[in-house]
Order: sequence, then C-alpha cells, then structure tokens
Amino acid sequence: MWTRVSDFDRMFGAMDLLRSRMNRLFTDFDRAYGTDYGWVVAEGTPRTNLYDAGNHFEIKAEVPGMTKDDLNLRIQGNYLEISGTRKADAPEGYKAHRVERGAASFTRSFTLPADVDTEKVEASLKDGILTLTLPKAEAAKPKQITIN
Amino acid sequence: MSDKAELVKREETTPERSRQMPAVSPVVDIYENSDEILLYADMPGVAKDDITVNVDNGKLTISGVRKLAAAGAANWAEFGDVEYSRIFSVPQAIDVAKVNAELRDGVLKLHLPKSEAAKPRQIEIKAA
Repeated sequence: MWTRVSDFDRMFGAMDLLRSRMNRLFTDFDRAYGTDYGWVVAEGTPRTNLYDAGNHFEIKAEVPGMTKDDLNLRIQGNYLEISGTRKADAPEGYKAHRVERGAASFTRSFTLPADVDTEKVEASLKDGILTLTLPKAEAAKPKQITIN
Repeated sequence: MSDKAELVKREETTPERSRQMPAVSPVVDIYENSDEILLYADMPGVAKDDITVNVDNGKLTISGVRKLAAAGAANWAEFGDVEYSRIFSVPQAIDVAKVNAELRDGVLKLHLPKSEAAKPRQIEIKAA
C-alpha cells in the first residue's frame, strides 16, 4: 500500500513537471526570442525598449547595419516616430548561399507616456543599437513633496 | 513512505534552473565567389570585445554576448541581454590562417578566403 502511494506521488510529480514545461513553452512562444530570431518584430519594425528613468525616458532600438544617415527621427510633443531604411549589402559578383537578413524599410511611432522637452532630445547610435534620451517636460518630472 | 513523499516534493519545489541569458542564433547571409566565402551576421548591441569567432576542425563558431546598459524601469522591453551563437560547417578548402572579421553597426562581416589549391583554375589547352 505504502509503495503505491509513493508511486502516485511520483506520477503527479511528473505531471506537474510536464505542466510547468508546457507553461514555459507557451510563454516562450509569445516572446520574440527563442522561437524566432532576427531583428524585427512581427510587423517588420525593429524591436524597441522604453525605460523610464525619472527625469528622462530612454528608448533603445535594434537597428543593425544602419548608419545614422539611414535613420530618421521625428518628435512632436509626446509623439515620436522612428523610420529608417536598411540598404542591401549584398556584394557584387558573389553567389548567395543563404539570405536571412534582407533589406527593409520601416516606420514605427510611439506615444510616449508623458510630454518631453523636444529641444533636448539626444540620439546616439552604437553597435547597431539606437539610443534616444528624452528629457521629460517640467510638468511631467517627478516632484518631491514635503509633508507639513 | 513519508521520506519518499518528501523526496518527491522536494524535486518539484526546486525546478531546474533555466539559463540566465537566452541564446539566439543571429540571422546570417552567406555569399561565395571564387576567392572567398563571405558571411554577414546581425548582432546588434554586441561590442567588438564580446565577440568570439572560432574555426576549429571544420566548424566555425561565432558567438557574442550583448549587455544592455539600461537606465530606470522598463515601460516595455522587446529585447534584452542575449547570447548570440551559431555554428557552421566550413569546407576544408578554407584557409584558416587568413580568416578575418570586421564589425560595423552591429553587423559582423567575416571573410573566409579559400586556400590556393581550392580556387578554380583555368586549364590551358596546348596545341599538340
């Protein structure tokens, strides 16, 4: 009898393990990494991250193979638009074995969570990562409140 | 029985650790002409020092680690720290000593020159 119980226990343990593996599979499925690789999300635009660092926002975007001349940034109030073109860099006189990268053009726009000071926005490009630093407008900056 | 049950439960409460950094294959383009094989790989955000290119025993391994320096809390994050790695089989005809790599704007460009013996040769026909 006792051995039976532990058998059951083990069986349920195995089922739980299977269930957690399945869960992980589904959460991974939704992510861009793991299942699919590449630099674009489904709509054909580069992946971006938005960070809120209190006094400024920081946007990072993956733009491999693009120079600063290939990218266009426009901002108006809290509306930001990033557009760009990736030129084909296929060399002349070569036979292609595998082409996964391809040339593309994209436009992506964001509504930022708060107004930013459009005059002080800075952008830099390093190793295929575009980094935008967007200082928040005075009204949107966090304020320390003193208790009376 | 109690001992055994505990043992099983302990297994469940400590599930296997997944890797800290997701591993991704970079997308590549591979071209070839009579002199060399040319490989492009997209590895955005990887610094030059964090890339390793290895040719060993007919296997070409490229790998690189991306560490993003982020400020503040993420409102959304579609990409993060990642480990790029991909392995290719290379033909014996590659001159390993002359392989060279360059990194520009997050794209790794790898030249794999063919050895002299493997290059196509025009054979001249002599008049008898």
